[in-house]
Amino acid sequence: MIELKIDNRTVEANEGETVLQAALRHGIEIPHFCYHPCLSIAGNCRICLVKVTGRPKLMPSCNLAVTPGMEIETDSDDVIAARQAVMQFITLNHPGECGICDKAGECRLQDYHVRYGEPESISLEPKNKKPKFYDISPRILLDSERCILCSRCVRFTKEVSGSHQLGIVERGNHSRLERLESQPMDDPYSDNIIGLCPVGALLSRDFLYQSRVWYLEPIRSVCTGCSRCCSVKVWRRNRHWHLRSLGEEMNRKVYRVTPQENREINGPWICNKGFDLHKFMGRKRLLQPMIGGSVATVDEALSEAKKLLAAAKSPAALVSAHASNEELAAFKETLGSRMTVYSREDYKAEEGEVVEDNILIRENKNPNSHGVHAMFGDLPWSVDSGHDLVLVWGDNVDYTPMGNAKVIHLASFEMPQERHADVLIPISTTFERSGSFTNFEGKVNRFTKVFDKPGLVQQAGDVFGRLGA
Amino acid sequence: MSCLTDKFDRLRATYPPEMNSSLVLPLLHLMLREKGHLTESDAIFIADYLGVPAMQVKEALTWYTMLHRKPVGKHVIKVCRNIACSLMGAERIIDYLKQKLGIEAGETTPDGRFTLLLVECLASCGTAPAMQVSDTYHENLDEARIDHILKELS
Ligand code: SF4
Ligand code: SF4
Ligand code: SF4
Ligand code: FES
Ligand code: FES
Repeated sequence: MIELKIDNRTVEANEGETVLQAALRHGIEIPHFCYHPCLSIAGNCRICLVKVTGRPKLMPSCNLAVTPGMEIETDSDDVIAARQAVMQFITLNHPGECGICDKAGECRLQDYHVRYGEPESISLEPKNKKPKFYDISPRILLDSERCILCSRCVRFTKEVSGSHQLGIVERGNHSRLERLESQPMDDPYSDNIIGLCPVGALLSRDFLYQSRVWYLEPIRSVCTGCSRCCSVKVWRRNRHWHLRSLGEEMNRKVYRVTPQENREINGPWICNKGFDLHKFMGRKRLLQPMIGGSVATVDEALSEAKKLLAAAKSPAALVSAHASNEELAAFKETLGSRMTVYSREDYKAEEGEVVEDNILIRENKNPNSHGVHAMFGDLPWSVDSGHDLVLVWGDNVDYTPMGNAKVIHLASFEMPQERHADVLIPISTTFERSGSFTNFEGKVNRFTKVFDKPGLVQQAGDVFGRLGA
Repeated sequence: MSCLTDKFDRLRATYPPEMNSSLVLPLLHLMLREKGHLTESDAIFIADYLGVPAMQVKEALTWYTMLHRKPVGKHVIKVCRNIACSLMGAERIIDYLKQKLGIEAGETTPDGRFTLLLVECLASCGTAPAMQVSDTYHENLDEARIDHILKELS
């Protein structure tokens, strides 16, 4: 432990910590652009300057190791003057177009400009022109005029994702972020740089001009893309900004998915599949209960399913690896003991998808295989186990291998089939329920409901309750 | 490229192993001498040869204006336009060169003999105005000296 004084407050810092880290940990805000706790220290933006008693010049606090008895001032007049000067410099060529910039509302530059900036630029020179819509990848655009060259994104590709696909080219006033001309960025973690960028230079094409961020609110959820179970924020329209007439469907729309920091599981990052979680959940839904391919009410479908279950001599259940632990428990309690239970993986790696790496991505492309195996073992389904009824729970199911067995199917998404299930009951997606998954390491991660489920769609737990009663 | 990689190999042998990043600039220079100008694919070639990220080589290539990225003429004339030379009449020298060669700064004569570039301080302020033609310095320039220098260049 090292004791030092920041703004006349005695704080305890750890050996090897920087002044900025110690200050932030104690709730003392020192502005910073280029510093990020998970990246190396670049020390290039200079907004974090502080005064150190006994030193003639202001020092960048992000690159200043704590020493015992150090005395730091973060808001003396000379620090504030230096900060204003740095803001003048950083905004020298900045277009100042918050009105049309997706980052507005969560932009460090904008926040610091309000707090520390001066209203007018003191520069007489015209602003430097740079490419406005530089194509980083099919997912990301760069506005070079907004870029403050903090190099966070570059360091991310060097130090976190390891793709080395970005760099700062040219020099001085001409410096720009670029990729290789011959190679658009295809880093499977690329979208993290959008949030990592302290300004609105890196833009998600998917979210481009979709909404002002202050109309939105994040709901904590879990990515179902693989067995890492990363924590994510699912952004929906804030209740206060719900649309009441035109465009009401926007109230049920996910605008974007971003990482939710979770030290235990995914740190501050997720992979691009997580950023696309809303597209996965937005596929064509099953909304109507069916009996043998014809429309039925929920009650009819349930009583038909109950009849089939009662008549079956050797019923089997294929349990979804997208089911929550709570639903699995409900199933175990109600039907689990009355049938042979097999585990199934709803999804396998698709062509072109990263199968596994040593960052986050896991080979099992389902969130809760661990939970399923813990409760029911991992007996794999085989066609000739001789069952006369199969209750299939989950998506991406082909009925063909079920042979002549009766099929009761609980699923969320449409999938073309050669034949009809005997009973089909639409169930909710992860966005429409709360619960938890257990990831491949046995760590439990909880998700919260984002939207109410559509009318005829059921919660799997309720279905089992009624079938088992 | 095989004769180039032979040269690369010889240079690499003089460096300690595992110092691949230190070889980026020497190899860029070597390649520039062979090819006159360098493009991104040359950067990728060096990166693959050294086993370093291509972006790292591209960053180095674009940082240095001496590493030409457009074709240049046989003789590259780099005229200093920084403060000491400007005080000593660099602007006049530049205008004279432009007029004599019939090109603007940054351009190459149609016969491919001369490229005219403006550069910052050549560290020859004491003998300003100065220019560098390929690897040779010329100091205390005036119109007559320029006439003489250009005539000497084949
Ligand atoms: S990057 Fe920030 S400061 Fe710049 S225009 Fe966008 S919101 Fe405004
Ligand atoms: S694009 Fe953003 S993160 Fe990358 S260098 Fe520019 S400001 Fe920094
Ligand atoms: S690593 Fe797996 S859980 Fe995490 S975001 Fe990617 S697909 Fe989703
Ligand atoms: S945060 Fe310290 S220099 Fe950028
Ligand atoms: S200013 Fe021209 S050589 Fe220094």
